[in-house]
Amino acid sequence: MTKDRNNHHESAAYHVTGTAVYIDDIPVSSDALTGKVFFSQVPHAEIRSFDLREAKKVKGVFAVLSAKDIPGINNMGPVVHDEPVLAEVSVQCIGQAMFLIAADSEASAEEASGKIKVKFREKKAILTLEEAMKQGKPMYPARFIISGDVESALKRADHVIGGEFHTGGQEHWYLETHAALCVPGEGDEMRVYASSQHPSETQTLVAEVLSVPKNVVEVEVKRMGGGFGGKETQGNHIAIWAALLAKTTRQPVKIRLCRDDDQKYTGKRHPFLIRYQAGFSKEGILNALDVDLNSNAGYATDLSRAILERAMFHAENAYFIPNIRIKGTVWKTNQPSNTAFRGFGGPQGIAAIENIIDRIARRLGLCSAEIRRRNFYGARSRNKTPYGQIVKHNHLPLIYDKLLVSSQYLKRKNEIDAFNKKNEFFKKGIALSPVKFGISFTTSFLNQAGALVHLYTDGTILVNHGGTEMGQGLHTKIRRIAAKEFGAAIDKVVVNATNTSRIPNTSATAASSGTDMNGMAVKDAIRQIKAGILPIVADHFNLKFGKPKTRLTDLVFSEDHVIDDRHKERKITLREAANLAYLQRVSLSAVGFYKTPGVFFDWNTGKGHPFYYFAFGMAVTEVLVDTLTGAVKILRADILHDVGDSIEPLIDRGQIEGGYIQGVGWCTTEELRWDEKGNLLTHSPDTYKIPTAADIPDVFNVELLKDHPNPGTIHHSKAVGEPPFMLGISCWLAIKYAISASANHRKEPELNIPATNEAILFALEKLKSK
Amino acid sequence: MMKFATMSNHPTTDIIRFILDDKEVSINFTRTTRWTPTTTVLQYLRSLENHKGTKEGCAEGDCGACTVVVAQLENGKLSYTALNSCLIFLPFLHGKQLITVENLGSFDNMHPVQKILAEAGGSQCGFCTPGIVISAFALFKQHGKITRPEVVDALAGNLCRCTGYRLVIESVMHACENRKPDIFSGKEKKVVALLAAIRKDRSTIHLKTTDYSYYLPQSWQEALLLRQQLPEALVINGSTDVALRVTKKKEHLPLIIDISLVEELRLFRQTKKEMLIGAGCNLEEIRIAVREAFPMFSELLDVFGSRQIRHRATLGGNIASASPIGDTLPLLMAAGASVVIHSLKRKREILLSSFVTGYRQTALKPNELIYVIRIPIPSSAEILKFFKISKRKDVDISSVSGAFRLKLSRDKKISQVSLFFGGMAATTRPARQTEQFLKGKTWSRETIEQATVYLQKDFTPISDARAQAGGRVRMAANLLIKCWSETHTGKP
Ligand SMILES: Cc1cc2nc3c(=O)[nH]c(=O)nc-3n(C[C@H](O)[C@H](O)[C@H](O)COP(=O)(O)OP(=O)(O)OC[C@H]3O[C@@H](n4cnc5c(N)ncnc54)[C@H](O)[C@@H]3O)c2cc1C
Ligand code: FES
Ligand code: FES
Repeated sequence: MTKDRNNHHESAAYHVTGTAVYIDDIPVSSDALTGKVFFSQVPHAEIRSFDLREAKKVKGVFAVLSAKDIPGINNMGPVVHDEPVLAEVSVQCIGQAMFLIAADSEASAEEASGKIKVKFREKKAILTLEEAMKQGKPMYPARFIISGDVESALKRADHVIGGEFHTGGQEHWYLETHAALCVPGEGDEMRVYASSQHPSETQTLVAEVLSVPKNVVEVEVKRMGGGFGGKETQGNHIAIWAALLAKTTRQPVKIRLCRDDDQKYTGKRHPFLIRYQAGFSKEGILNALDVDLNSNAGYATDLSRAILERAMFHAENAYFIPNIRIKGTVWKTNQPSNTAFRGFGGPQGIAAIENIIDRIARRLGLCSAEIRRRNFYGARSRNKTPYGQIVKHNHLPLIYDKLLVSSQYLKRKNEIDAFNKKNEFFKKGIALSPVKFGISFTTSFLNQAGALVHLYTDGTILVNHGGTEMGQGLHTKIRRIAAKEFGAAIDKVVVNATNTSRIPNTSATAASSGTDMNGMAVKDAIRQIKAGILPIVADHFNLKFGKPKTRLTDLVFSEDHVIDDRHKERKITLREAANLAYLQRVSLSAVGFYKTPGVFFDWNTGKGHPFYYFAFGMAVTEVLVDTLTGAVKILRADILHDVGDSIEPLIDRGQIEGGYIQGVGWCTTEELRWDEKGNLLTHSPDTYKIPTAADIPDVFNVELLKDHPNPGTIHHSKAVGEPPFMLGISCWLAIKYAISASANHRKEPELNIPATNEAILFALEKLKSK
Repeated sequence: MMKFATMSNHPTTDIIRFILDDKEVSINFTRTTRWTPTTTVLQYLRSLENHKGTKEGCAEGDCGACTVVVAQLENGKLSYTALNSCLIFLPFLHGKQLITVENLGSFDNMHPVQKILAEAGGSQCGFCTPGIVISAFALFKQHGKITRPEVVDALAGNLCRCTGYRLVIESVMHACENRKPDIFSGKEKKVVALLAAIRKDRSTIHLKTTDYSYYLPQSWQEALLLRQQLPEALVINGSTDVALRVTKKKEHLPLIIDISLVEELRLFRQTKKEMLIGAGCNLEEIRIAVREAFPMFSELLDVFGSRQIRHRATLGGNIASASPIGDTLPLLMAAGASVVIHSLKRKREILLSSFVTGYRQTALKPNELIYVIRIPIPSSAEILKFFKISKRKDVDISSVSGAFRLKLSRDKKISQVSLFFGGMAATTRPARQTEQFLKGKTWSRETIEQATVYLQKDFTPISDARAQAGGRVRMAANLLIKCWSETHTGKP
C-alpha cells in the first residue's frame, strides 16, 4: 500500500502496470456468456412482425429475448418513462435496442443476430433539429427565464445584431466503451458490475425491469475508463440488458459495445440551434438579449430538459445583461437519445453568447477582450443573474487583469495584426474567453451525498462514498480529505469501489459536484468516529499522566497520532487509539451525510438560487490558420482558473488541461455527419477525430488562481470537472479572428461549431464573396 | 468445409513460435479451438489471464490502447517497435518477441517510463495508459537523441480523452532524457539466441485447420510459387488494411499468403538517379531512409497514420490497395515511379500511373506480386510538391491530396507539368485538362487562378464522412495555389 505514496492518482500504479481492472478485465467463471444487442437499423418504423426461431437454433446460443420476455417494466428512461428497454411496437431511431442474445461466444451471438428477421413498416423520420423545428412540435413546452424588458431595450439600443448559430453534437469517446457484467446469485439476487456514473439509478432500473426489489440488486463500480457524462444515464442501458440475459439464463452475462456500436447507437452532446437578437451601446455594453435555445434531444427525454436548463442558466455566461429573455425548447428527432456531456448544456449556451460578444467587437471595431471586460458581472452592482441569484465572490475582473498581463495579450495581438497584414495565406488569431459556471445540480433534491467510513484496529481507514471514479481523481481527492481529517498518512487510507449495498440512494457523479458533496459526507462520518475516540483517549491520558487533565478540546488528530495539543508528550498512534476504542466497545464506523444548503429553483417564475457557488476561469488562445487548407495549429494557450484552495493541484491541473483540450476538440475537428437515411457517417475514430498529442498548444501555460479559498466547501475547494471545457471556446474565437483577418475584420465571418478545416474554408470563401 | 492443396515440393511446418513472458510459446492451430490464424494479437492477449493490460479501444488501429512492442532480430540485435496489436494476426509473431505492459515492470519494480507517468500525473482514467506506456517504452529503446517532436510523433497514435497530453509528453520526454539500461537490456542476449534458433528453420509455415489455410513463406521464390499455385489466396504483408476486414467487417478469410517474413522484399537501394524500395519495406523505415534524397516523400510519411501504423504498413501494401485516398500514390505517380512485378515465370515493370486501373483495382495478375518500387530521384531543377488535407493533422486519412511536378523554363514558363490528385475521384488521377491548360503558361498567380476552373472539368468529387463535394473542389484548387505560393519567387 505504500507503493503509491508518490503517485498523483490513487490508481496510477495500477494504470501504468496494466493491472487496473475495468469491466472487461474482471475474471469470470467458465459458464459466463457474451451478451449482444440487436439494434434497429431504421430510424422510424412500426414493427409488423419478427421471427427469432432461427436465431435461437444457432449452436451456442442460450437466449434470445424480446420485449415480451421482460418480467418488469419495459422502461429505462431515467426521469421520464419514454425509453423502452426493448422496442415493442415501434422503433424510433437507428440504434434502438430490439432484441438481446446470450451465447457462449462472440461468434455465435453474431451469427444469431444475423438470423433475426424483422418486418417493419417504415414511417417518415425526423433526422435533423431544423426539420423538427419546422414541424413545430416540441418535446415539451418552451421554458423561459426573463429579466427586465427586452423588447423596449432592443428598441432603445444604439446597435442591434441578430442571427442564428449552430453548435454540433459531440461523441464522448471515453476510451472504455460501454460495458457491464451481471452475475446472478441466490434467488433474485443480481450482482451488477457496471461502467456507470450513477450506480443507484442503475440499481433502481435493473430492479424495475427485472421486477425485483432493490435490496437484491447490488451495483458495483470500481472505475470507469472515462465517462464525461456519457455514462450518467446510458451506462444503465448496458447493465439492464446484461441483467435481463443473466436473469433468464441464470449465468453470468457480459455485454461490451464495440467502438462502432458505441459511437453509432449511444447518445452524444446535444446539437443546438440558437437564434438571437442583441442590443448594445456605442461602447459595447450589452443591454438587451433575446435568445432562443433549441436542442436536439433525439428520440427520448433522457436528461435533455436539465441540459437545456443549464444551457439557459449559462446563456449570459460572465456578463451582466439587464434586459434578457432566454427561451429554451427541447425538440424530438429520430436519433439516438442525446445525453449528458461535460458542461451539460453550458458549452452551448456560453458559445452562443461569446459569439455575440465577438460580433459586437467586430461591429464596433473594438478589442473583443475589452468588450468582455466592460460587460463582466460587477462586484457590488450589476451582479444579479437573469434568474435572480446574486453572483458572489466574483473573481472575473481579477482573473482578467492577471491573465491579460501574464499572457501579454495586447502585445501579442498587435504582433498578430502585423503578421496578418504581411501574410496572405497564413493568418493568426487570438482570443480571450471567460467561463462562469454554476455549481450544483439544478434539480435541487439531487444535491445530497452519503459516506461510510471504517477505522480498523490496525489504524487503517476504509472510505466508502457514493461518487464514482472515472479518471477525474475523485477517489484521490477523497483520500486526501479523509487523511487530513484523521490526521493520518495518505497511505493509511483506501477508497473502496462504489457499491449500492454500502452507500444507498446516491446521486450521479456529475455536475462537477463529486468532491464537494461526497467530501463533505466523508468529513461528517469521520467527525463522528473521532467524537467516539476522543473521550477514550482523554481518559487514557488522564489515567497515565494525571494532572493537569487533558480536555477533549485539547486533542488533535495529526501525523498518524492523537495528540494533546497542550502537552505534546501525551500522544498515542491512531492505531493505538483505535485499539483502545475497540476494547472500550466504541464504534469505529460511521455513516456520513451531506446536503448542499440553500439551493432551490422555481420554473414557474424562472427565479431562484440554483447554484451553491460559481467557478470562474479564463483562457487566451492563439492559433495559426492555413487559409488554403483550413488547418489550424494552436500556438499558445494561457489559462488561469479558479479552484478555490486546491485539494490536489496536479489533479486539478489535469482536469483543466484535459477539459480545455476536449473543448477544443468540440470546437474544431470533432464532427458528426449523417447520411440522408439517418446513419452516422463519422462512426469510428477513422472519421471522427478527437485531439491527439500533436494537437495541443506548443506553449501551454496553466495556472490555478491562488489565495482565494472558497467559503463553505470541503477544505475551501471548488469543483473543477466541467468548467474548463468551456475555455476551449477561446480557440474557436481565435480561429474566427484569423478568418476575419482575411477581410481586415470588416466583415462578419459565418462560422459555427465545429470549425472543421472544411468549415473554415467555406467561411473564408463566403467572406470573399460577401 | 474447404479443402486446400498442400505444398508438397518444399518442407512445411504447422506451428508458430514466439517469445512471451521470457518463454517460448508455440501455437499449433490444429490442436486448439481458442485461436485461429486470423485471431489478432489483441484478441489473443485478452484471452489470456495475465495480459489484460492490453486494451481494446477501437479494434481498428486508431486509438493505440492495444499497443504492444514487438522485438525482432535486426542484424543480430533486437529492434523494438510499437505496433497496434488489434491489426496483427497471430502468425506475424513467428520468430519475434511480444512485449506487453505487464512485462515492463510491476508495482515494486516499475520501468522508468511507468514510474514517471505514475508520479507526474500522466494518467487519469488509465484506460489509455498501458498503450501510452508501451509507446513510450518503444521510444525509450530507440537509439539516438530524442526530441520533443519525436515524443509527440511517437504518442500521436495513442488517443487519450482525459489528460490533454501535456503531462504525458513531458513525462515521456523526461524518461527518454534519462535513459539507462533497463530490464530488457540484461535479457537481450538470451532473447536473441532464442529468436535466432526459431528463425533458423526456414521452411514455409503452413497453418492448416478445417476453416483456414495460412501460409508464411520465408523466401521470395516460395512466395511466388504459392502465388502461382493458389491464385485465389489473399496476400497480406503489413495487414493494416486487410485486418480491418476481420475486426470490423467480421469477414472470414480462409486462405492467406502472408509475405511478411520474406527478407528479399525489404530491399532498399539508392543510386544518384533512383531509389529501389522493396515492397515489404515499412513506411517508418522508408520515412527515415529517404529523408535526405527525397525529403518530400519523407514529409508525406510524417503525416501518414501513426508511428504504430507506419511500422507495420508496407509500401507495397499501400500501392496494391489502390485506394483513391492512398497517400503515397499521388506523389510517386508524379515522381514517375514504376512498379516491378514478379511472377514465378515473368518479371515486368510498369509505370505506377498505369498500375492503378480502378477503384481498389490494379494491373496485378492473380499469379503476380509486387517486388520493388522504382522511384526516380527528383531533380533539383524541378518542382515536386505534395500536400495532404485532412480534418486532423495526424493519424487521419486525406480528404484531398495533391502531388504536383513542374518544370519551369528560365522565363518562368511551364514547360512540363503533371498534377495528381487523391480523394477527387474513384482513383488517384491526373488532372489532364488542367495540365493541358497550364502547359506553356507563365507560373503566376493569375495563371493558377485561371487553372482552378479547369479542375472542375477534371473532377466531380463525392461527399462523404470526410468532406463535401464542394469542399473538395475548393481544397483541390487551394492546393494548386499553395503549390504556387510555396514555389514562386519574386512578386506575384
Ligand atoms: C489507423 C490507420 C491509419 C492509416 N493511415 C493511412 C494514411 O494516412 N494514408 C494512407 O494512404 N493509408 C493509411 N492507412 C491505410 C493502410 O495502412 C495502408 O494502405 C498500408 O500501406 C497498407 O499496407 P499493408 O502492408 O499493411 O497492406 P496489407 O493490409 O497487408 O495489404 C493491403 C493490400 O495490398 C496487397 N499487397 C500487399 N503487399 C503486396 C505485394 N508485395 N504485392 C502485391 N500485393 C500486395 C494485399 O494483397 C492487399 O490487397 C491507414 C490505416 C489505418 C488502419
Ligand atoms: S484497439 Fe484501438 S488501435 Fe488497436
Ligand atoms: S487517461 Fe483516460 S483516456 Fe487517457
